[in-house]
Amino acid sequence: MSLNTPEFSASDFAPAPNLVAAERIVRPSLSYWQDAWLRLKKNRRALCSLYIVIALLLFTLLGPVIWRQDPALQDLDAISQGPTLGTRAIVVEDPGNWEGVRGEPAPLPPGGTLGAPTLRVEGIATTQYVRLVWSMVPGAQQYLIYRNDHAPESDQDLGLPLGTTLSPDELSFEDRLQLRPQRYWYTVIASDGVEEAAEHTTIEVSPQRAITVSQARERELDDTVGATVDLPAHPFGTDYLGRDLLARLMEGARVSLFIGIVAPLLFVLVGVIYGGISGYFGGNVDIVMMRVADFVIALPFLLFMILFRISFGIGPGESGIFPMLLALVLLRWPDTARLVRGQVLQLRGEAYVQAARVLGAQPGYLIFRHLLPNTMGPILVTLTFAIPMAIFTEAFLSFIGMGVSPPTPSWGSMSNEGIRTMLSSPHELLFPSIFISVTVLAFNMLGDGLRDALDSRMRSRE
Amino acid sequence: MNSDNFSPHRCLRVFALLLCALFAWPAVAQNGVDFARQAVQIAMTGEPRNLNSIRATDQLSIFYLEHVKEGLLRKNARNELVGGVAERWEMEGTHAKFWLRRNAMWSDGKPVTAHDFVFAWRQVVNPEVAAEYASIMYPVKNAEAINAGKMPLEALGVRAIDDYTLEVELEAPTGYFLALTSFMIYYPVREDFYKAQNGRYFADVENMIFNGPFKITRWVHGASLRMEKNPTYWDADSVTLNVIDTPYMTPDSKARFNLFKDGKLAVENGLQGLEAEELRDALANRMRIHSHSDGTVFYVEFNHRPGRVTGNTNLRKAMQAVFDSQELVYKVIGIAGYIPGRSLFPVYMNGVNDKFRIEYPVPQPELNLEKARQHLELAKQELGVDEIPPLAILCDDREIAILQAQYFQALFKRTLGLDIKVDSQTFKQRLDKSQNGNFDLILTGWGPDYEDPMTFGDLFASWNVNNKGRYSSPVYDSFVRTAQGTSDQQIRMDAMGRMQTHLIEEAVILPSYERVANVVQDPRLVGVMFKQTGASMVLTYARVVE
Repeated sequence: MSLNTPEFSASDFAPAPNLVAAERIVRPSLSYWQDAWLRLKKNRRALCSLYIVIALLLFTLLGPVIWRQDPALQDLDAISQGPTLGTRAIVVEDPGNWEGVRGEPAPLPPGGTLGAPTLRVEGIATTQYVRLVWSMVPGAQQYLIYRNDHAPESDQDLGLPLGTTLSPDELSFEDRLQLRPQRYWYTVIASDGVEEAAEHTTIEVSPQRAITVSQARERELDDTVGATVDLPAHPFGTDYLGRDLLARLMEGARVSLFIGIVAPLLFVLVGVIYGGISGYFGGNVDIVMMRVADFVIALPFLLFMILFRISFGIGPGESGIFPMLLALVLLRWPDTARLVRGQVLQLRGEAYVQAARVLGAQPGYLIFRHLLPNTMGPILVTLTFAIPMAIFTEAFLSFIGMGVSPPTPSWGSMSNEGIRTMLSSPHELLFPSIFISVTVLAFNMLGDGLRDALDSRMRSRE
Repeated sequence: MNSDNFSPHRCLRVFALLLCALFAWPAVAQNGVDFARQAVQIAMTGEPRNLNSIRATDQLSIFYLEHVKEGLLRKNARNELVGGVAERWEMEGTHAKFWLRRNAMWSDGKPVTAHDFVFAWRQVVNPEVAAEYASIMYPVKNAEAINAGKMPLEALGVRAIDDYTLEVELEAPTGYFLALTSFMIYYPVREDFYKAQNGRYFADVENMIFNGPFKITRWVHGASLRMEKNPTYWDADSVTLNVIDTPYMTPDSKARFNLFKDGKLAVENGLQGLEAEELRDALANRMRIHSHSDGTVFYVEFNHRPGRVTGNTNLRKAMQAVFDSQELVYKVIGIAGYIPGRSLFPVYMNGVNDKFRIEYPVPQPELNLEKARQHLELAKQELGVDEIPPLAILCDDREIAILQAQYFQALFKRTLGLDIKVDSQTFKQRLDKSQNGNFDLILTGWGPDYEDPMTFGDLFASWNVNNKGRYSSPVYDSFVRTAQGTSDQQIRMDAMGRMQTHLIEEAVILPSYERVANVVQDPRLVGVMFKQTGASMVLTYARVVE
């Protein structure tokens, strides 16, 4: 019988090659933050939100440097104007005190009825003034002037009653009521003081956009009568006092984002320290501290806001930003504190913490060196969720008139002012509310993405 | 299915409900105007707060009272003063005598007598009743002293010579006293009926008695009020409408406007005018919009109390020289018909023979930035300050008020470099602050209580409680005394012309605008009267045409 033994060669007994190279780490080693960033980058929604947040910060900080219109400047000729990219206007004489036209009134011939006057426009019709002149109607005691923005269909469809002449010899009327460069239909009716004439005259007028000489001078434009000048662009339109909406949004963003970022930073900081201490010491300390937190949660925010306002002696017409900040910081920290406390409570039983304690680490060192850095993920997430909450609170408070005072804008107060012209000029409500919504949404989605990116347990599921 | 649903009891209930709905339906589904029945429907912002003519104050109560009661004199369809309960009258100096109609009846058939007037007028000035409008009775002799509790009620200068003759003694010659007698606090109240109601006079339909063209026949509190023609009214022949129904009471202007659009109302909003949004809606719906002056003049009042910088004439003149009321009205407020303010005295007021403002033209202050800055410099020197401290502008919380406050804030900042704080308060709160003098500037207005420029003129007399800025000028006071001390119209109006000039030259106020009310009205309803004093809308002489 032969033994089937394997054939060995000398090479089989040579030392194996050094396999350290095989264990070489091919991919670069990633720190916690690098890893989080990588995963955030994969989350398209979160990344998009991040860009929006950066864009908003640039809008707020750099915007006013580039867009140099004064947010408090009232251009009363451009009230509630829709978005425009610059308009041209002609320069006309100041309205001054136009003498008007007068004529001797004549009595109504016996048996006659009131007729209709002939009507014409004196000079050129501009958005500064339309001067109507008409012929005397025998028997008329006064004349009623109407203006319509569509062709009248019937005697009932005459439009806005602009006014009534005072005495029977007045045969002219100067209309200056918020004229826009569009077509108007003017109607003049004679009246004997009680009954109106059955007939009336209507003419169509298309005023040209114009500014007066003194306005041109004030804006340092060409101030010769008849000159054509360029008026500033309002890409987002103007508000109910003719102020540039873009400039106001930029200034309003400062207030909104200031509250939105500073308040959460402060109250999250308070919450972190409070929750860290409470969680680390546990036991009776924890119980007492958490009951205090419960108590603070139960306090009504709005009431405290009003109380702070009064106790700081903030009079009417003064900004309520500081009491708002204080109320937010003093009343909103318990949420963060609870969260951090839970995390710390969990972490302090971990082996590395025990080891550090055995090695003689002091509580302060443990909390700030070992425990809090490991709760950084949830803290950051709370912070990003707190920001939209604070922005929204500011918007709400300014909306009900407890926030900024005029003329300082904030997105909330701008929405409040925009609501009343919602139907006629929707852009005044639309733009500030879009800014609020987009900002709140962006911070929310960024927070969502951060939570996913920072949560180390999520990694195992990938 | 639960058999209970078909129980006879339940069926009966449903049937009863349907029946109710059937009967209730026509009452609600009426049209705004009904030619055959001569009936109209209107809507109100709420219900009248107090229909007791002695104590009523609000516009809604005044509206209903003017339809159901009548004073010595009344306004006819052309807004002229004519005899009401009084058939004829005589007035000389401080004496007035009224002869009452023998056919003027209360709705229970008893005649209206001179004693009813004496009783009512005494109640108005009775300090225990504390009627808010008591001061309108002050031209009557001793009224003010009685109201202050210094004299007995019987000392009031009114006396019933017999059942049908009333004699009135006035404190001083009062040119407009006759016009006052058409105002509700001068209405008669019958003593026996009043006392029988135990303090519930006019609180409900069964506590009411009428002597006017209409009577209230149904009042569901907070929901509806119905007036029907009063057959016992002495001049019932000149009243055409049979029914004025108020089936809707809601503060929601949008809801009322929609009712009008649906043809459920004859007129909207006759008492206050449409709001800007409803006005746009009316324009878009091609409705005929009527406008009428509601009588109120608005202005910026300064605080003249010692220690306030606004007491400085040069500072006020600086503000006057940069403020253009036309710009405010035409560009900022932008409501059709509003008249840019120039004077405290509105354009519709009558002077001696013509309109007051035609007889006494207002001096027009010059708009001049250079001059304004000179005035400001002078003001700073006089006050001994380098910078004018921030000023507070007090206004109520309505949009139109905040809009104006913001306009003034920007205007005075841009032109004069003044810092202005906007102090926007609720209506009541604003009233409190203005009475306590807690403001520098205030956006305010005044509606006439009677048809004479004096209703505005004495506002700035140093003793007037409504002089909220406590303006005090011996010169102005002397004009007021001159005008109050005589019934010679020429002397009175001359004095008021001087008041008008004084107010502008001393920049005591900055007149901003005269308000109008824009209303929409069913074209079949004609003869509606709008006026500036008392009820702003009167339907007594209205009629429905086909």
